[in-house]
Amino acid sequence: MFCSVKSEVQRKFIVRMWVVAPLCVVFSLAAGLGVKLGHLTGLPAYLLAVLPALPILGAIFYTGIYLDEEKDEFQRNLLVQSLLAGTGGTLAAIEVWGNLEQLAGAPHLGLIWIYPLFWGFVLISYPLVWMRYK
Amino acid sequence: MAYRSDQASIWRYRYRVLAAVLLFFVCLFATLWSFRLYHPTGVLGYGLAVLPALPLIGALVVAGIYLAELKDEFHRTLLIESMLWGIGATLAVTITWGYLEAFVRVPHLPLYLICPIFCIFQAISGVLVRLRYR
Repeated sequence: MFCSVKSEVQRKFIVRMWVVAPLCVVFSLAAGLGVKLGHLTGLPAYLLAVLPALPILGAIFYTGIYLDEEKDEFQRNLLVQSLLAGTGGTLAAIEVWGNLEQLAGAPHLGLIWIYPLFWGFVLISYPLVWMRYK
Repeated sequence: MAYRSDQASIWRYRYRVLAAVLLFFVCLFATLWSFRLYHPTGVLGYGLAVLPALPLIGALVVAGIYLAELKDEFHRTLLIESMLWGIGATLAVTITWGYLEAFVRVPHLPLYLICPIFCIFQAISGVLVRLRYR
């Protein structure tokens, strides 16, 4: 899994992401079951609902840490450009869908899908940015 | 020399963003007016609903061009950092609110507000990033 990973910083980043991903799934299930089966209301329900967001907040934080710690300027630049492209793609897609939702009755897109959508755009743009420097 | 070309880029960027914002309001007004009077459906309805998003997508492209044109590394770094903080904060807010929406039925945050939220976070982080380098 780590054969193509060159630096310690990259390895740390990947390990952290692999820790965060299952945590998010587990917390989502726990929150879903807790709120539905436990019939929670008020503050406990709010706290439980926010629980699955915590690993994702951690992932955002660790991405920032990675960008700060990465010494390889080229790798850093690749990721920064992909993140910016992901930002542009996500905002454009959301703006279009938001208008369709509001005016033309398109199905509602939950806010929890914005984060995966963002990383989808980053993943698409990463090889494109990389190819530019080939 | 670089400074002078950057000044030209900054003014070009401002004019283009201003044009995009004006165009956005024209498109928004036209779209709302036609939906109120003619109640368009199907492809026409979808096309009209997407119309106000196009100038905003144009503004995103303009921001990308501006970033590519900037020669001053320091200002480029400031802008990139503020954009990354902006998207990080936007993703943090949307994922947290998204889980609250999914599990405890808080009011729905319309998708068209995400772009302004990003702009506000970017503006705030722009100031903070500038202060860091003082």
